[in-house]
Amino acid sequence: MLRVEGLTVRAGEGRVTQDVSFEVAEDRLTCLIGPSGCGKTSVLKWLAGVLAPSLAATGRLSIDGAPATTPDRRIAYQPQQDALLPWLIVAENAALGLSIRGRRRAEAREAVTPLLASFGLAGTEDAFPAALSGGMRQRAAFLRTIVQDSRFVLLDEPFSALDAVTRLSMQDWLAARLDEVPRGILMVTHDLHEATRLADRILVMAARPGRIVADITIDTPRGDRTEAALAGTRSHLKTRLLEETP
Amino acid sequence: MQLVRHFAPTAGLALALLLGWEVYCRLSGIPSFVLPPPSGVVRVLWTERSAIGPHALATIGVATLGFGLSVAFAFAASVALHFLPWLRRGAMPIFVASQTIPIVALAPLMILWFGFGLLPKVLLVILVTFFPILVSLLSGYAAVPQAWLDLLRSMDAGRAAIFRRVTLPAARASFLAGLRISATYAIVATIFAEYAGARRGLGIYILAAKNNFRADLVLAAVALSAALTLALLGLLRLADRITAGRFGGPADAAG
Ligand SMILES: Nc1ncnc2c1ncn2[C@@H]1O[C@H](COP(=O)(O)OP(=O)(O)OP(=O)(O)O)[C@@H](O)[C@H]1O
Ligand SMILES: [Mg+2]
Repeated sequence: MLRVEGLTVRAGEGRVTQDVSFEVAEDRLTCLIGPSGCGKTSVLKWLAGVLAPSLAATGRLSIDGAPATTPDRRIAYQPQQDALLPWLIVAENAALGLSIRGRRRAEAREAVTPLLASFGLAGTEDAFPAALSGGMRQRAAFLRTIVQDSRFVLLDEPFSALDAVTRLSMQDWLAARLDEVPRGILMVTHDLHEATRLADRILVMAARPGRIVADITIDTPRGDRTEAALAGTRSHLKTRLLEETP
Repeated sequence: MQLVRHFAPTAGLALALLLGWEVYCRLSGIPSFVLPPPSGVVRVLWTERSAIGPHALATIGVATLGFGLSVAFAFAASVALHFLPWLRRGAMPIFVASQTIPIVALAPLMILWFGFGLLPKVLLVILVTFFPILVSLLSGYAAVPQAWLDLLRSMDAGRAAIFRRVTLPAARASFLAGLRISATYAIVATIFAEYAGARRGLGIYILAAKNNFRADLVLAAVALSAALTLALLGLLRLADRITAGRFGGPADAAG
């Protein structure tokens, strides 16, 4: 269990977030949803240990009850956009986290290779990212995140750059991967539909200052989430979000 | 075929200019010691080849040494300035000021201080070519997308690892642009240094030719210097192409 308590991020005099507290459960997908500029990325960056120096943060982070300092190897971070390095081939990009952590090149590639097929990247391991479609790039970025073997994973709007159809299929694909390799995921999104399709739990944020205004648990297993079953949750969420948007 | 199409406009334009020059010389009856026709320049380039050759070689030597040292120094300085912001704040104004020194004033002083050997010429080439390379490297480092840096930082990579894995490769295109700018100055700076005093080199050859009112020899040396600069640029382009595979195409693909 990863726990954030009392996270306040300041930009000079102003407050980006105010006293944000929440948990991310092991092997569950938690969505952080809220209007643009409410501080979702700032929360994620703080957890990843990469908050901009111009922002000052106070708050406590603990994993399994013990205080943790960031960057922490138990937490993997995937920035908004895929952040693939254009001069590395797909296999090298995917193995980046491992080689940074000191694994030898061949060893790191060995860890990546068996996963290529289920990530839909078989045959592209020697391609440069520029040759991949948006969906493939996103899957390569996921592979890079997943092979780091961190217990917790931070995803910042992983599907926002994709077209609507690719996005839907990538959501299904992510759900399937999480059944194979469960992780405690904290995923930022703008998209109500995406949140209700994937999340076990949804944290709703409001802006200025960013704070959590609702905490919704979805008990229906992902496989049984028909449009009809989700309609109630979705309209409830929509109401909350609209209430908080001036 | 692609190569032909690439160079055809340049070659055509150059030929037209040379042809115009040739025709002008023939029709106007201008004496050839004032303005020799291109054909005359080509002729002396050939007949005087054994005289010009050693001078050209000397120039190539100085330019290569100066430019090579300049690249090495600029790289070392860029790394130091990247990691030490206080040094960057302190040193940049000094580097900028160094660029305002007129080379006309500096070249004779260098000769005065360091004699007629290699040192003053190499120093002058470094002084002229160092700054564009340094600036292009630093601006390349500064332009790295924040997401790439954040990604590595989140992986708990240290400063040195981030620099080597992301910052340096990301600055490649910018570095090559700086190299191209500096390369165009390298030969000219060498010739200028030689002009101020040297035993051998195209610069001193031009000086002697000018003193003997041999415009054709001056122009022959100028043509040679242009060819040397183009050759240097060609080498840089080749190096770019050879190493481009990993970088999604050569940095100068647009040009
Ligand atoms: N480095 C910074 N310095 C100062 N203010 C910042 C900085 N980064 C972000 N902010 C401010 O913090 C607020 C929240 O930004 P953040 O990127 O966390 O929002 P977000 O919820 O992720 O938005 P989006 O949905 O558009 O990605 C914004 O108002 C932004 O202007
Ligand atoms: Mg954001």
